[in-house]
Amino acid sequence: MIPFLAVVKKELTSVLRDRTIVIAILMQLFIASFSSGLLLGMLALYDSDTIMRFSGAEIRIGVVDSSDNILGSLMSKRGLQTLRYATLSNAQAAFYRGEVLAIIDTPQAANGLTEIKLYLPESDTTSSLIRLVIQEPLKQYENILRAQKGIEVRYANLQGKPATPFEFVYSVLIPLLMFFPAFVAGSMTADSITEEAENNTLHTLLSAPLTVSGLVGAKIVSSVILAILQCIVWLTLLQWNGVAIQNTGWILLLAMIVAGATSTSAALSAVLLKDRERSQFIYSLMLLAAAATSTLLNLSPITTLSRLAIGDSYTNGWNVIIFAVFLAGLYLVLSKTSRRLLI
Amino acid sequence: MNQILVIAWREVTRLRKRFGGASPLVVLLLLAVFGWSAYYLRDTVMLGSGLYRVGVSGDVPPIRDSRFAVVALKAEVGQALLDQHVIDLWIDGPQVISRADDKSQFAVRALKQYMEQEELIRIGNSYSEADAFPLRLGINYLGAGQAAGNPLPAKPEQVIIPSLTPPPGPFAQVLIALIYVLPITFISIFFTSSFMDEKINRRLTILLSTPITPFQIILGKMLPYAGFALFGITLIALITKANLPLTLAIFAPTTLFVFAIYLMVPLFYRTFKDITFIAMLVTTLTTAYLIIPAMFTNVNDFSYISPLTLAVKMYKGELFGWREYLFPSLPMAAIFGLAIFAGTRMLNEEFLVGYKPLTRKLSDAVYLMLAHSRPAISIPLWSFLVVPIVYMAQIVFLAFATNLPAGLILGFTLFASALFEEIVKAIGILVLAEHGVVNSARSIIGLSFLSAFGFLVAEKLLVFLSISIVSAAPVAGVFLGEGLLLFIPLIAHFAFTTITTWLRIKLKFPYLLALGIGTLVHFIYNSYVLRGGF
Repeated sequence: MIPFLAVVKKELTSVLRDRTIVIAILMQLFIASFSSGLLLGMLALYDSDTIMRFSGAEIRIGVVDSSDNILGSLMSKRGLQTLRYATLSNAQAAFYRGEVLAIIDTPQAANGLTEIKLYLPESDTTSSLIRLVIQEPLKQYENILRAQKGIEVRYANLQGKPATPFEFVYSVLIPLLMFFPAFVAGSMTADSITEEAENNTLHTLLSAPLTVSGLVGAKIVSSVILAILQCIVWLTLLQWNGVAIQNTGWILLLAMIVAGATSTSAALSAVLLKDRERSQFIYSLMLLAAAATSTLLNLSPITTLSRLAIGDSYTNGWNVIIFAVFLAGLYLVLSKTSRRLLI
Repeated sequence: MNQILVIAWREVTRLRKRFGGASPLVVLLLLAVFGWSAYYLRDTVMLGSGLYRVGVSGDVPPIRDSRFAVVALKAEVGQALLDQHVIDLWIDGPQVISRADDKSQFAVRALKQYMEQEELIRIGNSYSEADAFPLRLGINYLGAGQAAGNPLPAKPEQVIIPSLTPPPGPFAQVLIALIYVLPITFISIFFTSSFMDEKINRRLTILLSTPITPFQIILGKMLPYAGFALFGITLIALITKANLPLTLAIFAPTTLFVFAIYLMVPLFYRTFKDITFIAMLVTTLTTAYLIIPAMFTNVNDFSYISPLTLAVKMYKGELFGWREYLFPSLPMAAIFGLAIFAGTRMLNEEFLVGYKPLTRKLSDAVYLMLAHSRPAISIPLWSFLVVPIVYMAQIVFLAFATNLPAGLILGFTLFASALFEEIVKAIGILVLAEHGVVNSARSIIGLSFLSAFGFLVAEKLLVFLSISIVSAAPVAGVFLGEGLLLFIPLIAHFAFTTITTWLRIKLKFPYLLALGIGTLVHFIYNSYVLRGGF
């Protein structure tokens, strides 16, 4: 047991001495801050509810007058300012005077269809913004036209609240911060094992009373310890930032199991291939394939983690245990093959 | 040239040997599993996967969306389960019952998005097209030309069915453009590995003792991988039906840039884990540098810093000119040139093999690059050439800052930018001083001036290029306009650099303290200028 702990200690001190792990930690911070700050900010620019809340009152749309002004009133109901004009040329004159940003002409019936002409400014930004905010009234108008033809659209009056930030935090940000350290842990394990193999230091190390499995195991354990430490920091930071996270104990256990699984797979590929180039390459492909397959089988650790964090009533420790069984199987395969490292 | 080709061929042979045997089979198998699953999952909504529990009773259409986990229940218990927060939403036949709290309302919005799509499919299948989709929207654009009496519209009318044509989405084209970066990055990792391999086996030492120059070694090794990367780009262009020559023109400088950055990885690493961390950093930073500006395509002209913006424009069928092309491409080509030069200087046994702290290695690298010519030439040239890197770093700082509280964003970005500028302007003089090349008060002041001068010229050149894209009119002003505007920054840059170098070399201040003082003065100056001073 003592040589095992000595290897773990050696691994950890070497990582701390190199200090490059700081890069990995800073990078996670960067990815998290970049994606949540900038990406969500940008997404809000493309979300019609957010646009309406902040600048809805400034979006003025000219409507060419007609007896049937359903679309105009739907737009007003949405919070847009509509100005009515008697003719299209009046409305266009108002457009060039800067009174309105866009014009909607009188609906025309043709071949059983209703045609509406929309006049937008050339500017790409303004015209896509207007198309975003009038999309909802247009859909409602289309439903009214369908109803006139006797077609009923079900569930048409649902509203709710824009869910993107919520979905992002629980299905992207938290899994990212919990599993990225696991991904790094795998890479570190492969590095550590192939470095011993390529620099021919393996036999020297094994002159200590330690088996190959013990050595590989110690390397895995040290990578997992680093991963878990990072996860604890991220969980604390997230909670400080006001993100409510349930089941933190199970979440940490799941993160640990996933870090164990990535490290074991990386160790497996390192033991079989013995050089960094190929083992890292195969390890990356294995991760991609595993992520895709687990989603396909509806047994994704990402979904389990999201549900645990959100406090889903149907998700509990048993969902975590399944992954532990998988890890145990993987480790068994590794322990059977680890002697190949010496061949 | 012949030598370069020989090395390139040797590289191809190395790859063939390494990836011969069973590993191609494993690679193919793993790729097949990934591709097959990705194909099946292509329509699955990934954002919000598995987040909502929906209880269903009565006649409700099947809900096939990865965001929802559906539980069939009896109508009597629906309300109770909803109140106990066991489910987020209860669909009872045509009725949707929700709670007032956020999570339930988020679920309603997600359901709305899903049901809208499903209903459109149902209606489309059950009724004639004219009945199912009775509305046509003709989109016309009013240009400035029509205001002047020109009756021709700016663009032809585009007729759409509103419910079937969602408004232009935010990042679809950015994502397509990003696909190009994947093969470039992936392949450059092998390029890195190749150097690493040579380093471990000490073959690089043998290679360096032959009459082959480091320049030939680097180019020769890069050639096959650059070839693979261009092949990957061609393939993606053909699959996505893009204009091939244009795509190659856009992504060739990007390829060079990514390779240039990856060339630094094997030169600086000390242990295998270093490679992983440095490579990760490089991947994140280059990806961020390429994506962030491209997200502002057509929103802000600053987006032209990234070549992905050009690709986004190409996919949108929009035109761009030479200046727009050169704006992202020139800095990338410049960084490539700088990296190759740095590589040729660092490719020696002593630099490659020694274990030193990374900061020590960095300053050694700077020394190796500067020591080959007279400081009066190398120092201003260094400051001139690193400006594109400073520019990129500042974009990264801005991205970091967006996550801070609004009041701190500007302050953080200004301080981090000032810090980075001061590091690069002073570092050359400091390492030369450390090796005893610079010592006298005259040379410190003279070189600080030259460093500030080189930096300012490059900075203004970049501003010139960017302003000439934004608007052609006041370009001359940048250089000639108010002469004071150019003179004051020069003096300011000179002063900041002198503070750092003088404190460190003459007064023997610790480096961080000297740098901190220089940065602080720079930061105060910048804040003053931004508040409308001068």
